[in-house]
Amino acid sequence: MELSDYIQFVLMPQVINGLALGIAVTLVALGLTIIFGLLDVINMSHGEFYAIGAFGAISLGALGLNFWVMLALVPLLMAPMGVLAERVLIKRVFNSKDRHVATLLVTLGLSLILEDVLRLVYGPNTHRLDAPISGASEFFGVLVPNYRLLLILVGVGVICAVSFVTYRTRLGAMVRAAAYDRSMTSSLGIPVDWVYAGTFAVGVSLAGLAGVLLAPLYSVFPTMGRDFILLAFSVVIVGGMGSIVGAVIAGLALTQVQALASLVISPVWTDPIVFSAMVIFLMFRPQGLFGRLGHA
Amino acid sequence: MENIKYTIALAALMSALSTTQSSAQEPLKGGAGTPIKIGVVTPLSGTYAAVGQPVRWGLELAAEEINAAGGINKRPISLIFEDEEANPSVAVQKAERLFQVEKVDFLTGMVNSGSTLAVGQLAERNGKLASTTVSFADSITGEKCSPNMFRFNARAEQQSYALTSWLGKEKPTAKVFAIGPDYEMGRSSVAAFKAGAERNKIAVVGEVFAPLDSKDYSQYLGQVRAGRPDTIYTSVAGNDTVRLLTQLDEFGILRSASIVGSSGTITSQNIAAVGKAAEGFTTGTAYSPKIDTPENKKFVDAYRAKFKADPDLFAADSYSLVYAYKAAVEKAGSVETDKVRDALRGLSWSTPSGQRTVRAGDNQTLLPMYIVKIKNGQFDIAGSVKADDAIGPDACKRF
Amino acid sequence: MRDEQSRSIRVSHAFLLLFCACALVAAAIGAVSGNSFYLRLATEALILAGLALSVDLLLGYTGALSLGQALYFGVGAYVSALVLLQTASFWLAMSAAGAASLLSAFIGGLIANRVRAVYFTLITLGLSQVIGKVVYNTRELGASDGIIGIPVIDIGIGGWSVSAADPTGFFLVVLVFIVILYGALAYLLETPFGRVLIALRSNEKRVPFLGYSVWRARMIAYVLAGVVAGLSGALYPMLRGFVSPELMSFSMSSNAVVAVLLGGAGTLVGALYGSVLLVVIKSIIGSWTEHHLIVIGALFIWSILFFPRGLMGMIIPYFLKRPSEEQSTVQVPSNVSLSGEAK
Repeated sequence: MELSDYIQFVLMPQVINGLALGIAVTLVALGLTIIFGLLDVINMSHGEFYAIGAFGAISLGALGLNFWVMLALVPLLMAPMGVLAERVLIKRVFNSKDRHVATLLVTLGLSLILEDVLRLVYGPNTHRLDAPISGASEFFGVLVPNYRLLLILVGVGVICAVSFVTYRTRLGAMVRAAAYDRSMTSSLGIPVDWVYAGTFAVGVSLAGLAGVLLAPLYSVFPTMGRDFILLAFSVVIVGGMGSIVGAVIAGLALTQVQALASLVISPVWTDPIVFSAMVIFLMFRPQGLFGRLGHA
Repeated sequence: MENIKYTIALAALMSALSTTQSSAQEPLKGGAGTPIKIGVVTPLSGTYAAVGQPVRWGLELAAEEINAAGGINKRPISLIFEDEEANPSVAVQKAERLFQVEKVDFLTGMVNSGSTLAVGQLAERNGKLASTTVSFADSITGEKCSPNMFRFNARAEQQSYALTSWLGKEKPTAKVFAIGPDYEMGRSSVAAFKAGAERNKIAVVGEVFAPLDSKDYSQYLGQVRAGRPDTIYTSVAGNDTVRLLTQLDEFGILRSASIVGSSGTITSQNIAAVGKAAEGFTTGTAYSPKIDTPENKKFVDAYRAKFKADPDLFAADSYSLVYAYKAAVEKAGSVETDKVRDALRGLSWSTPSGQRTVRAGDNQTLLPMYIVKIKNGQFDIAGSVKADDAIGPDACKRF
Repeated sequence: MRDEQSRSIRVSHAFLLLFCACALVAAAIGAVSGNSFYLRLATEALILAGLALSVDLLLGYTGALSLGQALYFGVGAYVSALVLLQTASFWLAMSAAGAASLLSAFIGGLIANRVRAVYFTLITLGLSQVIGKVVYNTRELGASDGIIGIPVIDIGIGGWSVSAADPTGFFLVVLVFIVILYGALAYLLETPFGRVLIALRSNEKRVPFLGYSVWRARMIAYVLAGVVAGLSGALYPMLRGFVSPELMSFSMSSNAVVAVLLGGAGTLVGALYGSVLLVVIKSIIGSWTEHHLIVIGALFIWSILFFPRGLMGMIIPYFLKRPSEEQSTVQVPSNVSLSGEAK
């Protein structure tokens, strides 16, 4: 194949489509990194909350709601779920000596339950959510579907909003303080318990939001939570647990690595590559690229 | 102290539960003798639950009909279901329980080929017969055949024979690009297709294998476009199909290429989700609800009335299995393994999709294949291939 | 050394004897009634108990949760299967499986042991996923179909020969094997090295100050756990006649973890009781409903929240209390406490 053909038909589409996938992965990883960075909790059921968001969109869509309304409504509806999960499950094992292990196991049990509940309620078949816009546009000879462009825009918007709130508002400062030093923050009169519950809720709402956004692209079915989970964890670790900037950079970078690598080698080996990246970081720089949010 | 209470409660619960061991059983209807038990080890949970459901429904409908008409030799059929979780280790464990504790006379239901092969081996060691109505890996009635394992559905080779001979007639100048899931089944389906294509002189311009459960096929579309195909063959299934086809549509590839695929690619499980991208999809398969015979109309109506859904390939094949077993037991006059095995071999019986025959050399069912094209979300018939033309030679050397 | 650790191990031994006694009774009943299904199910439970022992060694004693022990179980199973397809020799298969799991656990340990705690857990999880996927895609290993056709072998010990197809006989062989594994691990834990492992769980930071290398201790424990898992895995194809990639899956690893938690982490014998308990629970629930994952998940959560010391973890301390001694303020070290008090 000629070089120009290669660039136009293979390389550029790969990069641009990898970008859409990267934003998608970053959105999922964002909630995960916030929960880990701020709460020091490993949420193995994160993928299931992502699935709940998508199924929520299916249900609301069946009621006739507009896509944009759903995009705003689903995360809001999921926040109480997050608070409930945090209060009932996480809080109880939070103070144990092996917090990481205990929360990992507890959320693991939760993920089993949630996945089966989804199958119980919605059945095992695949569901479809239509994209709000269709068609494709051409960029320098590369065909990109319009919904993917929209996804990139909305995704970037969400990421910026989350960063803004975390770093530039008083609320964000409270959350960061609570993550850094719980007792001190508590003694300053801040209701740390609710901050924790709220943060967990925000984390799972972000997962739900990602679920709604990605549903038109990747379809909806009960085991969809497993789609992203390993990749999301890799992004969180490489980017640095708790770091939003890190999640973005790692999310985009890892998906690009995966996309470009699959051009050269059999795609089946791209998972081991991403995993190896995670392992190498864990071995040599466990705080990831940008370290822990509260502790960097 | 609190924890002790919990322990005692748990112990009490356990002992209460262990005295009520029973598996999901069908209530006995009709017939006067002791029931003939058919064990069904099928995925009722997990990713393959969507296949286990039509299998279950097809079996239940057939059993109900047969029991209402008096059963087999005046004995009612009793179906006993177990969940294999699409895991061969679990399938073998459950199958063993069915063979030895429930003492089933016959076994069926396995979906993935690993489970089918393992259970076939178990059936041999227990002196019982087992069958599959879904697994289409050629090896099950090929190099890994077992005298006690029968297959009542079309295998990958039959599907590709049907599809490629139709392509050879209708689109002899087609340029096909193959996209398959990167695991045993996916690769061998593509290989079977390529062999059939070569036989019918159809050009295959490229192939690519994507990992199972890939979310995003956009990264492979560059290669696809580079090959400039006018036809795309795929052997993906389930959710992968939804994603591949909708993304092919998204990227406009379906404007210039039509899709053909294996019979498991689009089924009742995912056709709704694939939506308009499924339009024009063509496959070689053993069943479509639109087959125009009185027997099929009766079957479709009964299935719709009972389950509020159209029957698909898995339901139809499972339904036909029960009738085959009935015919074999009546011919043999008993449910004894050796007698039924002999009766099954060479058995010919009528099913909603036509006459089927079990080939004695490898326990593989020969059946008429149909070329099915999806139009407006329906599986229209576009052609058919006779049973004997749609199969390759007997590759089973064990018996 | 007659400290609490020793005493609780002794109690643990007593429970092992109880376990064996029950097992022998069950074997006798099985042999007489001719019902081979339950015997073989029990044999499978014992094989899984070996995997649980390997998880307990790491979790209960060094304090490291491994979510990927099924990897070594699978390695042992596949190697054993491949050997048996060529030569039907029990000892050759076991040795090969042991060697293969030793090597792979060594490599795995080099990777995983560079990090601690939750990162260690994530790496073990990732390792088993990645290698599992590689095996799933490798034609020579049967790919997704696995390998069938493992012949039934005769196990020759001394003058006796037991066929793997003989339910009672093979059950007894596996029982003896598990008891030997248990014995070896229990002996190890009583040695000074064993105490270093336990110290790792209690307070890893202090161990180097006592003159021991943390890394070496963890590596040895990890490799040992891998070998235990691999040898247990080697028995699987002898029982079932096939192997498949699902033997390395995450659900396999997590089942072992659930078994350890149910039985009581850090008690060794808890792994055995927990495995049997889990197999029983699963088969009962499985017959009831196809939504058994909800029940298992709920059971899992319930046991972590309310029942964190597990069965043995609660029973054993009762045998350690002596009215003449003062109530010890030190918590029994052999139990992992998953919900202790906050400082």
